[in-house]
Amino acid sequence: MSMSLLQVLIGGLMLGAVYALFSSGLTLIWGMMNVVNFAHGDFVMIAMYVAFMVWKLFGGGPFMAMPIAAMLLATLGIIAYFSLVRHVMKGPMLAQILGTFGLALLLRYGMFWTFGANFQSLPENLVGGTYDLWGIRIQASRLLAGTLAIVLTIALHLMLTRTSLGSKMLAVAEDSTAAQLMGIRPDRMQAIAWGLAAGLTGIAGALIATFFYISPTVGETLAIIAFVTVSLGGFGSITGALVAGLLIGVIESLSGYLIGAVYKDIVVYTIFIAVLWFRPQGLMGKN
Amino acid sequence: MKRSVWLLLILALVIVYPLLFTTPFLQRLGALVLLYAIAASAWNIVGGYAGQVSVGHVVFFGCGAYASMAFFTHFGWPPIAAVPVGMAASVGIAALIGVPTLRLSGHYFSMATIAVAELARLIVTNVEALGAAVGLSGPVMPRTVFDLSFTSALPYYYLFLAVLLVVLGLTYWMENSRIGFYLRAIKDNERAARSLGVQAGRYKLYAYMISAGLTSVAGTLYATMYGFIDPESGLGILTSVKILIMAALGGAGLLFGPLVGAAILVPLEEISNNLLGGKGAGLTFVVYGAIIMIIARFYPSGLLKLLLDRMAAAKPAPSDKQVRDVA
Amino acid sequence: MLLEAIDVTKTFGALTVVNTVSVSLNKGDILGLIGPNGAGKSTFFNCLTGDLMPTSGRVILNGEDVSMMTPEQRAVRGLARSFQVPQTFETMSVLENVMIGAFLRTSDPARARRRAYEVLDLVGLVDVASAVAGSLGTPGRKRLEIARALATDPEILLLDEAMAGLTATEVRQAIELVRKIHQTGMTLVIVEHIMEVIISLAQQVIVFHQGHQIARGTPQEVTRDPAVVTAYLGKRAAANAARGFAGDPA
Ligand SMILES: Nc1ncnc2c1ncn2[C@@H]1O[C@H](COP(=O)(O)OP(=O)(O)O)[C@@H](O)[C@H]1O
Ligand SMILES: [Mg+2]
Repeated sequence: MSMSLLQVLIGGLMLGAVYALFSSGLTLIWGMMNVVNFAHGDFVMIAMYVAFMVWKLFGGGPFMAMPIAAMLLATLGIIAYFSLVRHVMKGPMLAQILGTFGLALLLRYGMFWTFGANFQSLPENLVGGTYDLWGIRIQASRLLAGTLAIVLTIALHLMLTRTSLGSKMLAVAEDSTAAQLMGIRPDRMQAIAWGLAAGLTGIAGALIATFFYISPTVGETLAIIAFVTVSLGGFGSITGALVAGLLIGVIESLSGYLIGAVYKDIVVYTIFIAVLWFRPQGLMGKN
Repeated sequence: MKRSVWLLLILALVIVYPLLFTTPFLQRLGALVLLYAIAASAWNIVGGYAGQVSVGHVVFFGCGAYASMAFFTHFGWPPIAAVPVGMAASVGIAALIGVPTLRLSGHYFSMATIAVAELARLIVTNVEALGAAVGLSGPVMPRTVFDLSFTSALPYYYLFLAVLLVVLGLTYWMENSRIGFYLRAIKDNERAARSLGVQAGRYKLYAYMISAGLTSVAGTLYATMYGFIDPESGLGILTSVKILIMAALGGAGLLFGPLVGAAILVPLEEISNNLLGGKGAGLTFVVYGAIIMIIARFYPSGLLKLLLDRMAAAKPAPSDKQVRDVA
Repeated sequence: MLLEAIDVTKTFGALTVVNTVSVSLNKGDILGLIGPNGAGKSTFFNCLTGDLMPTSGRVILNGEDVSMMTPEQRAVRGLARSFQVPQTFETMSVLENVMIGAFLRTSDPARARRRAYEVLDLVGLVDVASAVAGSLGTPGRKRLEIARALATDPEILLLDEAMAGLTATEVRQAIELVRKIHQTGMTLVIVEHIMEVIISLAQQVIVFHQGHQIARGTPQEVTRDPAVVTAYLGKRAAANAARGFAGDPA
């Protein structure tokens, strides 16, 4: 394998890790309360703008942006849950999908209106330059984002499977009436899930902003990537999302490198259709 | 007054509207209301009646629009002649999306509709024969009347009205036949419907394909009127949003819901664009987002339903005896 | 033989909920399935209707193997059902709910409407025909489900706890209704956990316990079966019952 191919591969893995991180929030909410957040990509977009503003106003990097974005987005997630999602999730499908889709538009065009359509980006060396490891060049920003994203995704998985909060959340996912009888408050658990999922988009956004373009409409692209990741990983599965996210990051980067940058999204979206046709239960799901 | 009298009165008003309001702006506005009402009524068949929320309906609109402009550009067809091509492509794409997803939970369907619309936009943006990022144009000067290229909006108004009546007629027929009953049953409770022998997946797919075909006609009409199509207007997500919000605001699953929605939102958008200029576009969609959230949260069945319920509450409901005699 | 289940087993993961259960029904039979809550009755029932696919075993309807068929395919072949937790079409009227059933045999709305009225008349819901299904209480919904199922002109009707949650009077009325339906020549499978209902209706009873069929026979036979009494009332009561029944040949 040539060095540059390896370089693309590693870059793709790092990008894919961030995809996995924000997709894990989508899959958590979907698995837990059967709601798909169509504004999920726009949550990431907001976080990217937070990172942009943090740099612009204070000259801060991702370590300053991450906590701010996480807090802000978690708050947004919890507000969205209590003011919107909780009410529409029991209604007809139309209400449920329109609810979060409307939120997506509000956020997207709110940012469009405030910041304009222009693409922004953070300075290339905000995190550090580019490392040269045995001839493989890798941006420090990607390395940081990828590593942190993997760690956090695994941490989310462990939290859900190993802690009492996690098992309460899974109990609500399994059967919210039964959970209620056991003294768990489904409402609170679901609000926590929204806070958690949105908080993770905050971190993911602050990380990806260090090497990705920032625009009001980037949320749509990221949302579709999250859909592909979640479907490929099997809905509700964090580990599935991790594997699928990494895979998609690699496929995207490779197709960008081998066929051309404009085709990388086309390849990823086509994979989505293929998954729906041939493997709707996801890669890991049983038949 | 009886329902049919009301309807005839409204129809008469719609017919004379462009003769009463003769300024080009108001005539064009009327034509646009009807055009979007066609697309939103078509969406209503799958989104409102079958309860499958397509958020990427622009892909069918784009099929119709691009088919007409492409066949004109490459073969010199009058734009309107490509209607069957656009419909066939739309029905094919509907099957591509619908066959795998309509047997899964409704979320997969909605996600797939967004992704395919975006996929189509990306592909078309990179295909020279379809005008790539620049787009395609129709006839500059009308060669024959069949090019349907007029400077006045009046002929378009009546053309769109005729098509809208056909779409509404078809919807009405569907609403009152077995498929309409089945779709409502599936929307209410798919498991129960299947226990009564309803082939849920198949009927949802039928609804989706019919909806797709009709939406593509709206796309063709759009392209004939504007004489131009590009990836943003023909395949951008904002057109999907417009189609869907008009149906949902007016009343998804109601025959005249989409028309009501279009009659409210199209003028609003035109006025806000005129007042605010380019900056208005962003703001319009902020407002659209807010409206969609409010509908979802408070009035998921739309304004027309709200109105009808108010009217029904005002007068006593007919007794079962009467209903039975009528039936 | 109209309906036959052969060694039907259903597992969820490691949990075996239905364990090699077999039944057979001739035309005009009423088969009762009883057993305590969680015994696996609904799961077995759903394997018959196609809502669940059996893990192993076969379901034969009118001589045709329908084990892998969907609920809608079985409905076309003459099988109809009600749900333990009512699944009515909430936003549609009572009449329209029943019309959905009638549409299985005709595509003409006028004929479907006529058929629906006939059935509503039979089950006694004509007076609320134009009410929205969502406005009915539990007894009304259960009746509506039966009506809807009957409107498909089935050969066999499966009722899952059609009497649960009803008052004593309502139960009596419901029993009357089931009798009336049976008199039209209908074959029925009724799931109940109220013993009295089964005793007054079924000719043949199968008793479920923890996924197993622990007894079968006439209602009189199974109520005397010590295993059944144990399952229902616990060991001590069974011992008492056994003493009470001492000398009884059963
Ligand atoms: N989908 C499922 N997954 C796991 N366990 C199930 C499922 N459905 C039913 N069960 C279990 O199977 C057992 C039997 O349930 P059911 O058939 O509903 O009993 P019954 O109708 O006799 O009350 C119960 O313990 C229930 O928890
Ligand atoms: Mg049961």
